[in-house]
Amino acid sequence: MDAIKAIYDFITGFGPSVMMPIIITILGLILGAQFGRAIRAGITVGIGFIGINLVIGLLMGALGPVAQGMVQNWHVQLTYIDVGWPAQAAIAFGTKIGSVIFVVGILVNLIMLVFKLTKTVDVDLWNYWHWAMTGSLIYIATGSFVLGVIGSVIHAVYTLVIADLTAPTIQKYFKWPDLSISQGWATTSMIIIWPVLKLCDLLGIDKGAEATDESDLAKLRERIGILGEPVLIGLILGLIVGAMAFVPAGLSIKDLLTKILTTAMSMAATMLLMPRVVAILMEGLVPISDQARKFLQSRFAGREFYIGMDSALMIGDPLTLTVGFLLVPITLILAVILPGNHLLPFGDLAATPFFVCLATPMSRGRFWRTLISGTVVMIIIMYMGSIWSPLLTQAAKSVGYAFPEGTANIGGFANPLGWILVMISKLLFGK
Amino acid sequence: MVGRAKRILIVCGTAIATSTMVAMKVEDLLKKNGIKAEIRRALTSEARTASKDVDLIIATTQVQDVSVPVISGIPFITGIGVDKVEQEILSRLRDG
Repeated sequence: MDAIKAIYDFITGFGPSVMMPIIITILGLILGAQFGRAIRAGITVGIGFIGINLVIGLLMGALGPVAQGMVQNWHVQLTYIDVGWPAQAAIAFGTKIGSVIFVVGILVNLIMLVFKLTKTVDVDLWNYWHWAMTGSLIYIATGSFVLGVIGSVIHAVYTLVIADLTAPTIQKYFKWPDLSISQGWATTSMIIIWPVLKLCDLLGIDKGAEATDESDLAKLRERIGILGEPVLIGLILGLIVGAMAFVPAGLSIKDLLTKILTTAMSMAATMLLMPRVVAILMEGLVPISDQARKFLQSRFAGREFYIGMDSALMIGDPLTLTVGFLLVPITLILAVILPGNHLLPFGDLAATPFFVCLATPMSRGRFWRTLISGTVVMIIIMYMGSIWSPLLTQAAKSVGYAFPEGTANIGGFANPLGWILVMISKLLFGK
Repeated sequence: MVGRAKRILIVCGTAIATSTMVAMKVEDLLKKNGIKAEIRRALTSEARTASKDVDLIIATTQVQDVSVPVISGIPFITGIGVDKVEQEILSRLRDG
């Protein structure tokens, strides 16, 4: 046991860009991938990590002075910059908890299947990062690796149970075969969405209404479709925050324009580059994911089960997409007016449909219910994000993500269940 | 359409996760069948702009507001019904 621990400590000591390739290669071999394929997968994942580090550096470099300017000129204390879920995923995979998450996740799923506690075979390994994030922040808050793993396990069990519970409604709404959504964020949004929908029932909002007509939604999207293009969001947001930060500084016109336009271009660049580099990481995970799917499916062949999928499958729903677009300005306005908020929404503005993707089928396609659910979700996870972002910054530093010291720190929207687990652990076992 | 390789747009909710998986599988499929095609990726929210000059969309999510044929890429992720969807893609690329 001591020997295993020594080897493990040795490997994780290299940092994620070396550790992840080793772990992915070993995992690939265990799951029966060929050596060449396993090692190529490992190296690709490592390259993804290095790419993400570069892009985080670009974003924080550009936004650091901006955050400082906004604090000085406007007393807007939005000092935690939302790096977006792709970067959060990379941070989560890069921690010590992240290094064991695939093994932990597959084991939890396997045990639950054996004891018939779930019908979902979760082949969406990519989204194991949500569980890793919960565990990682617990590890940072308490210093206990074991508690971190327990946190990840609780989150995983919860995810699989909710995936089963929501599956019938989702399958009916999307006319899908035996799929369930076992994504570690969407499933936890049900903690917020269920009460909101209950409240809508009580208040009679959208009562008796049919699913909102697609042609109405299409007209609305026609007008606001620009909000679905991340590069443009980055550019426009860059112009706005750049102007806020630098106009009062009394610079010459040329210097002022240079600073504002450079900020806008850097933010637009981040929006395009981040998904590209994270996709490299994902590419490396594909062979592992394939092997895991074959491994699980072959063992439970003949039994009725759901294949657990990414909530990305639901994003294209017209209502989800439309409400997602509307949430971009809503979230930005909320960020400025909500007292005590410290999170500057940015990266996840490209992913707003994700925050409501389960609200749509659960409200059976009704517009107001979905919009209200989405708005409440954003308010809650922004506050939760404000509170857990210092831990996220620590996690990012611990995995070697380099960014300039200063006013701006790494932040992100929180996972509701993850946040609750982290806060309970901190309260009971905090350092 | 002589003289230019076919363009395929892979669309998903993130342009990261499921589309990467599908893109890799489609690349393999094309290579095996000796078909040259350019593969691009997009978010479903960008699909309308991104689909302007492509021949085929393979999507893992619902796609709105486009005038290009759309094939579901979900079988590539679940591993169920892969043969059927591969045939569909090949026939689209050969005929169109």
